[in-house]
Amino acid sequence: MKKLLTVLLVCFGLATYGQTTINPDTVCVNATGEQYFVTNTPTSTYNWTVTGGGGTLQTGQGTDLITVDWGGVSGLYLNAIGVVESNAAGCPGLPVLLDIFVLDLSSNVIGPFCPGDPSATLVGNPAGGVWAGTGVTGNNFDPSTAGVGNYVLTYSMAGCNTTINVIVNNGPVTGPIQHF
Amino acid sequence: MLTILLILFSINTYSQCVSNQSFTMIPAGPYQPGDVVTVNYTLGNFNGIFINWIHAFEINLCPAWINLTPITAPLNPAGSAGSWVWDIQHTFVGGLNFGPGWRFDNTGNVDWGTASTGPFTMSFTVEVGPTCTSDNLCVSVLVIDDCTTGGWTGGGGACCVDPAYNIYNGVVQIPPIITSNINHY
Repeated sequence: MKKLLTVLLVCFGLATYGQTTINPDTVCVNATGEQYFVTNTPTSTYNWTVTGGGGTLQTGQGTDLITVDWGGVSGLYLNAIGVVESNAAGCPGLPVLLDIFVLDLSSNVIGPFCPGDPSATLVGNPAGGVWAGTGVTGNNFDPSTAGVGNYVLTYSMAGCNTTINVIVNNGPVTGPIQHF
Repeated sequence: MLTILLILFSINTYSQCVSNQSFTMIPAGPYQPGDVVTVNYTLGNFNGIFINWIHAFEINLCPAWINLTPITAPLNPAGSAGSWVWDIQHTFVGGLNFGPGWRFDNTGNVDWGTASTGPFTMSFTVEVGPTCTSDNLCVSVLVIDDCTTGGWTGGGGACCVDPAYNIYNGVVQIPPIITSNINHY
């Protein structure tokens, strides 16, 4: 029982405090309500700044947790988020900064296809993401595997997604050769 | 011979009328903003020159201290008629600007001190004010005789010249503000 309680407490602790964000942090273009936080000291106040990336601070100024909406221009923004903690006496600490990479995914257009067409290569930008969907194997779409239909293929990276629609049409149905 | 003379001169200069001073500070330092400290100070003996009498205890604090509050006034063993009163500021008859501290209010001979030679024990509390820098936290007590205050002129102007008794000379300890890295849910 004691061991179980210890495990539960450790798991709770990891879930509550164990999150660590690697610098730079990656967000999707036009992301909204992104939450950023520091470990809270109850008697402290926190002055946040959001600069670059089209970011705007939405809620939480003065507290240990804020929400930010990001803009639509991809790129790396140095020191995009900063926070200065002040203790109960109003004494400021050193600023803590975080770089932000605003990620904008895109991909090539493929199709429409007919059954039996050869596989087509899926190209996501930037490279390094993962494709998923019916008929997808690695970075290829196989119309024969997918079969006739409309499909949504998803390209994902660092929590961001983009999709393309792919159509595999019916082939012409040719009757038997007749002899007049 | 010169050394002996210098030593005698030194003793005469820096322990002229007061002796056996001591103090306690509770809690002991170092101190942070918001700390409240109780200071107990005792002057064991006062022996004036040319019949100078003890007249006042002035508490000298660096500006980083706030909320000076008297707790216990000195007693007046075998002293003159009157009592020790707490003053934030008082201008003595000779023009000396005094305060804060305890001043003897002689009810028999106005402007004189008390004939008591001690011991004198007093206490007060003082708080470390809000600050973001390591300000000085000096505390000292200056014993003033009634020659210095101008109340007693029968000694021909030979007043006690004892320096202020140093009680504390530390600085405010500023707790470090350590902010974690910024994390993203």
